[in-house]
Amino acid sequence: MKHTPVYGLMAEFDNPEAVVHAARKTYEAGYKKIDAYSPFPIEALSEAIGFHYNFVPLVVLIGGILGGLSGFALQYWIHVINYPVVVGGRPLNSWPAFIVVTFEMTILFAGISAVFGMLALNGLPMPYHPVFNVPRFALASKDRFFLIVFSSDPRYNALETRRFLESFSPRSISEVPS
Amino acid sequence: MSALLWKPEDLLAPPIVKVYQRRFLIAGVVASVIVIIGGFFQPRVFFRGYLISFMDWLGVALGSMVILMLRHLTKGGWGMIIRRIQGAAMRTIPLMTVFFIPLIFGARYLYIWTQPDKVSDPHLRKHLEEVSSYLSLKGFVLRALVYFAIWNLLSYLLTKWSKEQDTPPVRDNSQRFKVLSGPGIILYGFTISFAAIDWVMSLDPSWFSTIYPLIILIGEVLSAFCFAIVVERVLFNYRPMSELLKPEYVHDHGKFMLTFIMVWAYFSFSQWLIIWAGDLPEEISFYLRRINGGWGWVAIALVLFHFAMPFILLLSRPFKRDITRLVWLAVWMLFMRYVDLFWLAEANFSETFTVTWADIAVPIAMGCLWLAYFCRNLSSMPLVPAYDSFASEVLEPAHEHSV
Repeated sequence: MKHTPVYGLMAEFDNPEAVVHAARKTYEAGYKKIDAYSPFPIEALSEAIGFHYNFVPLVVLIGGILGGLSGFALQYWIHVINYPVVVGGRPLNSWPAFIVVTFEMTILFAGISAVFGMLALNGLPMPYHPVFNVPRFALASKDRFFLIVFSSDPRYNALETRRFLESFSPRSISEVPS
Repeated sequence: MSALLWKPEDLLAPPIVKVYQRRFLIAGVVASVIVIIGGFFQPRVFFRGYLISFMDWLGVALGSMVILMLRHLTKGGWGMIIRRIQGAAMRTIPLMTVFFIPLIFGARYLYIWTQPDKVSDPHLRKHLEEVSSYLSLKGFVLRALVYFAIWNLLSYLLTKWSKEQDTPPVRDNSQRFKVLSGPGIILYGFTISFAAIDWVMSLDPSWFSTIYPLIILIGEVLSAFCFAIVVERVLFNYRPMSELLKPEYVHDHGKFMLTFIMVWAYFSFSQWLIIWAGDLPEEISFYLRRINGGWGWVAIALVLFHFAMPFILLLSRPFKRDITRLVWLAVWMLFMRYVDLFWLAEANFSETFTVTWADIAVPIAMGCLWLAYFCRNLSSMPLVPAYDSFASEVLEPAHEHSV
């Protein structure tokens, strides 16, 4: 018998409550390598699959601090070191006037860090992902909710896992070829 | 409409609120007697403390009204859960109206423009004559009448329509709330701007700043949010709030707090930046007074503890979601609101840093009376309007709400 490697088992649900319920029970049953897909963000779903923390806030914080420091340093370097001009008798290091640009640079760098940090931590761009081998998965960006148990999970067993997922009465269960 | 999730009588404030009401009333009456006796001997000192205290507690009342109107326009569970808390705070506006009356009699101790003939500086006297058509005691009283009439009317209508949602026949008032709240927020913006100029900025009649009323305005909204967080924390120990308050709402309240702290910092800094950059004698006097003679330490404390410290704490998501931790910052911010008003007002009266007995005792006395009245208001209506169709979001049990 020809054997194609399996990426995981995917169950399809048609409402958010069902997928959150299934995800929570699956996680509680000991499956840790699971993931879920929904057309819109569901905060409870991340919690349900045991995804409590991510590092985007930390990346944003570091980006913001670096942005603020570089914004201030830029102005300090220009006004104090490179091209010192006394304006209206004010000190060269006129920090109150620097705050606006410093603030804007903080926001800019934090924003850019948020976007690119999120992309990097998600492993994007990703030209190939096995879940798209299941044709029905296209509905995940429309009105269906998917839960997947990866075959790499130590508790994964093609038959038992399928039976377990069936207990949530999903609309369909598909084996995802990798 | 589906069956009621909660009966209105189960949504009433816990009986402990009545106990607090009694305690605050007793403390307030005792403290008031003491400060009034003190005020008899030192009226000048008394009214300085009285003005700061009045502005502070008025801020909680008016800020609550604004957040309430904001909620009527935007909906959302964050506002429904504190709607009646803010309603109760808003309904203290009649009390604040009464508290304003002594200021009319105290005006001559506070505002130099009430007695232009006693001013020795010829420039200032000339300036006071020029602005006398606006800055006169008659105008002061008449304008205050207009502000309080508008605030009381808004409060009355919002309360009346809200009360109608507590008893069947069910009535959907959300459209009326919207129609009132939009113009209401604009009216508040105008009235509080004029009031801030009349009551606080005119302490120094030769100084002006166009962003100053906004600093007062945003401080009021911040005070009101912090106050709501403190009250929801106290009520969280008892039913029904213990079952209704969810981390998502606390999270939203924390986010609002962060926003208003940042807006306060933005306004305060903008004023400082513009005046500092202009460096004009008639403008910079405001800051020279407030960074010299010990007042500079208060200014630094405001930067650090009214902005930097709460800003950094509120960046943390777990902190914002945990009511038991967030409440301490809310208490702290209520104190810092007072410090900000103290710094703005008291520096007009004394060149060196001074705290008088009235600066401490009057806010406590007025606050106890205010809180007693607030507790009375809070127990007079259910904490959530059970018949409001938008209340179901809040009234659903936590586990069904998980999505």
